[in-house]
Amino acid sequence: MKETLLLTKHMRENPENSHLIDVYEKNNGYSAARKVFKENNPGEVIEEIKTSNIRGRGGAGFPTGVKWGFLAEDEERYLVINADESEPGTFKDRILLERDPHQLIEGIIVTSFASNISKAFIYIRGEYAKPARRVQDAVEQAYEKGYLGKNIFDSGKDLDVVVHLGAGAYICGEETALLNSLEGRRGEPRLKPPYFPAVKGLYNKPTLVNNVETISSVPWIINNSGKDYAKLGVEGSTGTRIFSLSGHVNNPGNFEIEMGCSFGEFIDTFGNGIKENKTVKAFIPGGASAPWFTGEMLDIKMTIDDVANAGSMLGSGAVVVMDEDTNLVLAAKSIVSFFAHESCGQCTPCREGTTWLEMILERISSGRGRASDIDLLLDVCDNISPGLAWPPQMTTICPLGPSAVSPITSLMGSFREEVESLLPKKVLINND
Amino acid sequence: MTENIKFTVNGNELEAKSGELLIEACEKSGIHIPRFCWHKRLDPVGMCRMCLVEVETPRGKALVPSCTTEITEDLVVDTESAVVTKAQEGILEFLLINHPLDCPVCDKAGECPLQDQTMAYGPGESRFVEEKRHFEKPIPISEIILLDRERCILCARCTRFSDEISGDPLIEFIQRGNKTEVNTFPDEPFRSYFSGNTVQICPVGALTSTSYRFKARPWDLKKVSSTCNCCSVGCSIELNTSQNKMLRILGEDNEFTNQGWLSDKGRYNFDYLHSENRVLNILSKEEDSFSKISISDATEMIKNKIAELDNPNIKFILGSSSTNEEYFVINEIANYLNKDKFLSKDSSNIYFGDDLLFEGYFGDQYSQAKLEDLDSSETIVVWAEDIKDNLPILYLRIKKAVKNGSKLIVFGHTNTAIAGLADFYFGKDIVSNKFELIRNPNEIEDLKNNIEGKKVTVITGKSTVFQKKESLDKLINYLNEKAELKVFNSFSKGNTFGALQNIDEVKGLNEFCNEFDTNAKNIVFTIGVNPVNSSYFSQKIKENLIASDFVISLDLFVNETTELADLILPTTSLGEKEGTVTNMEMRVMKQNKILPAPGSTLSEWEYLVSILNVLGENVNYKNEIEINNYLSEQYKNQEKVPTFDNLNKPSNLFGVLNKKDININIKDLKEDNFSLLMVRRLYGDSSTQINSPSISMLGAHKFIELNSTTAKKYGINSKVGNFIQGPNSILINIEINEYLPDDLVIAPINRRGFEDIDPSLDFNITEAKNREELNVN
Repeated sequence: MKETLLLTKHMRENPENSHLIDVYEKNNGYSAARKVFKENNPGEVIEEIKTSNIRGRGGAGFPTGVKWGFLAEDEERYLVINADESEPGTFKDRILLERDPHQLIEGIIVTSFASNISKAFIYIRGEYAKPARRVQDAVEQAYEKGYLGKNIFDSGKDLDVVVHLGAGAYICGEETALLNSLEGRRGEPRLKPPYFPAVKGLYNKPTLVNNVETISSVPWIINNSGKDYAKLGVEGSTGTRIFSLSGHVNNPGNFEIEMGCSFGEFIDTFGNGIKENKTVKAFIPGGASAPWFTGEMLDIKMTIDDVANAGSMLGSGAVVVMDEDTNLVLAAKSIVSFFAHESCGQCTPCREGTTWLEMILERISSGRGRASDIDLLLDVCDNISPGLAWPPQMTTICPLGPSAVSPITSLMGSFREEVESLLPKKVLINND
Repeated sequence: MTENIKFTVNGNELEAKSGELLIEACEKSGIHIPRFCWHKRLDPVGMCRMCLVEVETPRGKALVPSCTTEITEDLVVDTESAVVTKAQEGILEFLLINHPLDCPVCDKAGECPLQDQTMAYGPGESRFVEEKRHFEKPIPISEIILLDRERCILCARCTRFSDEISGDPLIEFIQRGNKTEVNTFPDEPFRSYFSGNTVQICPVGALTSTSYRFKARPWDLKKVSSTCNCCSVGCSIELNTSQNKMLRILGEDNEFTNQGWLSDKGRYNFDYLHSENRVLNILSKEEDSFSKISISDATEMIKNKIAELDNPNIKFILGSSSTNEEYFVINEIANYLNKDKFLSKDSSNIYFGDDLLFEGYFGDQYSQAKLEDLDSSETIVVWAEDIKDNLPILYLRIKKAVKNGSKLIVFGHTNTAIAGLADFYFGKDIVSNKFELIRNPNEIEDLKNNIEGKKVTVITGKSTVFQKKESLDKLINYLNEKAELKVFNSFSKGNTFGALQNIDEVKGLNEFCNEFDTNAKNIVFTIGVNPVNSSYFSQKIKENLIASDFVISLDLFVNETTELADLILPTTSLGEKEGTVTNMEMRVMKQNKILPAPGSTLSEWEYLVSILNVLGENVNYKNEIEINNYLSEQYKNQEKVPTFDNLNKPSNLFGVLNKKDININIKDLKEDNFSLLMVRRLYGDSSTQINSPSISMLGAHKFIELNSTTAKKYGINSKVGNFIQGPNSILINIEINEYLPDDLVIAPINRRGFEDIDPSLDFNITEAKNREELNVN
């Protein structure tokens, strides 16, 4: 099994200077942009994307072409690139920003052409200082060349791109919170309805919000064809995907592969097996929000639908491996702490509930647990995500609260004894 | 009107308008859904999640907040399912885990939505064993408001109010997640004219007022509905007393007027009722000091004085705090005592104590506006004294109309707060520093385009005592001709419209001074008015009162005016008397009594009827109801008449609109040169405010406003200076306001220190370099 390099080909071949515009252009860069302006009308580009059947790489996996088709008519529409990559375990957008920023810009140009947009924003995670500098430099280079600004590629069309750095909040990866943040408001998710970005997005105008990896795939699709792209991978999960592999593996990193192989194969081939030849106790298939799989579930195929059918999500493509010696209570606590820290505080169940969950796990993991704590944990989880089902129901405004529930339900589902071993035995009191 | 559509709640089919919010539609049908963040006057945010209900969707049942869900055809809702009940119980548990549960020492306990809904929907006990979140408690966020962040449940009612409704977002969320708190910005207190509303709508005890803190428990309060008399908007209020003390005033949600809101002055200006400075006995001046006398001695004294002076001129200066019933009796006694018996129109002996009263636009050719007309106006035009300071709730109603799409046009230099909301602000190019309209209205394109053939409401009044009527006539007549016009005559003081309705003819203070004959014998009644302070005519009035043979003051306090009286008859005030008042829309509303008259005080009409009886006039009003019945007979042609009975019925609680001929006889001043524009601010040095400890400090701040060019002319760089005129030197804060034209300086007329300033004389402003900025306010 080998990698299939579409998005990372250029950076692999030019490890030193793939981010520079000259190098990018020498390797056929900006040919997709030139092509659409010369040969296509916007409708054709959208059709090509629909044919490719590419699904959003941010986590939700919504078909990109369909999303573009939803964008409401208005004189002013915006494109916003979600580069607020903050899901623990995920670091794939980082290399795309840092090492191939022109591929993204070219994707933005094509997308804006297809959706008749003249202003785009790249919202980059606050901690990504170097990627942000690279993107800013690349945008400036593109302006100098006339690929951005007025009358780009002599097409008569204008396109401005604004690079915006976040202030260090995971929640701003949620698209409506991102839009609030971009507008200068508190980074808090908006109510849906009525604030669906495709209808009422940035400044209440129709707005396309797409992930970095999704838009970076656009130039390849245009240069080749939607049909060619759809041939890669499997039905429902076409094309390649950059998976971020981390945890107890020998060789962590980003790997671009066609979707469809199993997690076991992926971890063995690219991760070079588990450290010290241990076995896998559990792994997270798609970022910290995703319910865990156990070591017995390594045969599951890495496709959006296979993972969903097994009760989790492929999400942002972050695979985190935990070996047989991992203290899973601490692992769960670590993830819950993250979500508690990142809760925006807007709605009650997430603000109060996630911190409470963190406190209970802290108690249990430090040996101060109570016999009733498992029931309590599950009931608090149920008050955030009623029924503890997947995909989750929620009492919250956005899915951040239920994300903190995932590791706990995973823990209680398959590793309950591990938790119970930390708790005192239940004392039965005879009331007679 | 949108058609009603059907939807189902808990198996029952109901009807609502399409697009109506689920929580409201259920409420109307008697189904209560618990809530914290939702408030019908604020935009919904769906944050507290208490109002979650289950609705059926194509993908099965889903929990949705009923405060953000709009009714659609055939919506199926369950508000009581096991999932809903569990979720609501869970939300309450979440809200309570960090709530201090200090109900025994919390002012809100007993009327607390958190407490009440916990009893109704909450879990019986807590499973939270960790340490709760702690904040310093409470912290003052302004002179009158305290914040206890531990009690706060982060519902965003206060932040939304100050952002959406009052437009001064000084209170905000800071931090995030579990550390989120409401607070003010550093060095920027919550200084808003409307801050008290946030205390009223806070669903817990997080925001409290200094005036009410630890004073009472809600279950001990006696309550009655009434009408505020701080300005002429006539906000509906609820008076709360305990042990015969006024402890709190709340806003009532009257759709027609205040829609629940109050200005802080209306809300907190009541401590004076129980001030130790209040006059509680009839005082007669002998030599230079006052001594107590009885009511019979007092009336006898008046009778003897009138006889002794042999046909004296008897004049009345009125304030705006009397009820319609009292104005009616004042009119009777004034008529009786007027030696010319009103033979001609100009012989009225009643003068109203408001510098900015003018003849107004009444009569058949002008259609009088109602507050609700603002909502349907395409354009609102303002030329008046500062609306935010003088008619604060009208400011909120205008702001709401503008938010909903009405265009706002503001003329002149005094309305700088409302100018910030305006689509078009017509400053120095159109209105001169003397308040003359420089250009013809039909030549002003932006005006023309927004008024011709449109629904327009104009709010009109004098911006300064010097303003000539001609300028306004030009504008109003143009508007009346070209637009579908409604007119507000914005006389801003209390029950001015009640006085105009019930008094045959009203003149102004200028007329009082001009008509005062020092060679004749004079008796002057001042009734609830202090013209020796806060009037352009103060000095002249003071001289005239000193020159009078006998001065009788009906008032609450010894002040600049009443200290010149020979006889002080102490009167009753808000909550101590019953009657009706008329607001700026001519809506008659009820004031109710909840407190006994303190000491030997009597209502104004009681004194005046006694005097009439002693003088031999047979007047037989035994109580306010009899006067009110008599008054109401004038409105026979209307379906409903403003009798006490009618106004007390809930269905008609909000008053009856009526029309009556109004006679105001006020001439332009001869002077038109002035260098200083003196305007009334919301807070000042009125007798009631300086005797209300919880808000008296708000009227102490002394300042002037000018633009930076004018500041440069005076050579001022600092924020502190001295205002100098003749022997007077006042230490002031200097505020730069770029809305003002060059060479115009604005100063407050109702602040201590400015009472001796004459705006028609020269003055100077100098820097006070060796002083730090004043922190008086």
